Amino acid sequence: MGGRGSVNKVILIGHLGDNPELRYTPSGDPVANFRIATNRTWKDRDGNQQEKTEWHRIVVWRKLAEICSQYLKKGSHVYIEGRLETRTWEDQTGNKRYTTEILAEQMKMLDSRESAEQLADSPPLTQDTPDMSEDDVPF
Amino acid sequence: MADLRMPEQNKVFLAGRLTRDPDLRYTRGGQAVANFSLAINSRYRDSSGKRVERASFIPIVTWGKIAERCNSQLKKGSPVSVEGRIQSRTWETRDGEKRNTLEIVAQRVQFLGRVSPDTSQESEEEGGTQREESTGSEKK
Repeated sequence: MGGRGSVNKVILIGHLGDNPELRYTPSGDPVANFRIATNRTWKDRDGNQQEKTEWHRIVVWRKLAEICSQYLKKGSHVYIEGRLETRTWEDQTGNKRYTTEILAEQMKMLDSRESAEQLADSPPLTQDTPDMSEDDVPF
Repeated sequence: MADLRMPEQNKVFLAGRLTRDPDLRYTRGGQAVANFSLAINSRYRDSSGKRVERASFIPIVTWGKIAERCNSQLKKGSPVSVEGRIQSRTWETRDGEKRNTLEIVAQRVQFLGRVSPDTSQESEEEGGTQREESTGSEKK
């Protein structure tokens, strides 16, 4: 979450474009990378329907990274909640470069049936998976 | 769980301060485009559980009337909240190297602070009333 006076929230729902790639940092932290596609449709000036696919590179750290690499694959339908972060790094010629990344903090699988059954015995994917039944109670 | 068909979503909510004055330009077709960048502080715990605070600088692009209003009412340091979508753009450097840039296309911008002492009353409200495209007539 954001610091004082800040909000930094990203919500994406889309399909994975590739299998998650899991790596470990020298200090042993797991990091997973994958891409998610979202489609945007709009009408242009002439009233024609237009569509564009946006690809989002997602970075996931630690426990959630391992869960993603274990359960997600190309084509998986997912909900991602996270934040944007800029990172500075140096390229080969020593120039400072800025990269803005999407860091996933929560992930929910949206594919129904099979995958849901597969997951029945696995630990919860997020710390605050909503309990649907609670929504039914008015107060 | 019920078999809900989830729509695709691409949503971003940000609140922070402008790192520079908005840069307003017009496309050849006469569309206004304003670019600015937001500084956003994040707090989180690192792998060792230590509390870390860091700033991110997120590029924002706005179009049309919102762009013009941002340009006339915001400046470096102004606090705003932005709602929009993520867009990535590929471009080529002079050396022909391909680079990918992520930016937020703002669909809604709320001005959170007072811009200058003589602005209208509405802009003095903390938390900001919604002052995007629908409010174009309140300013002369």
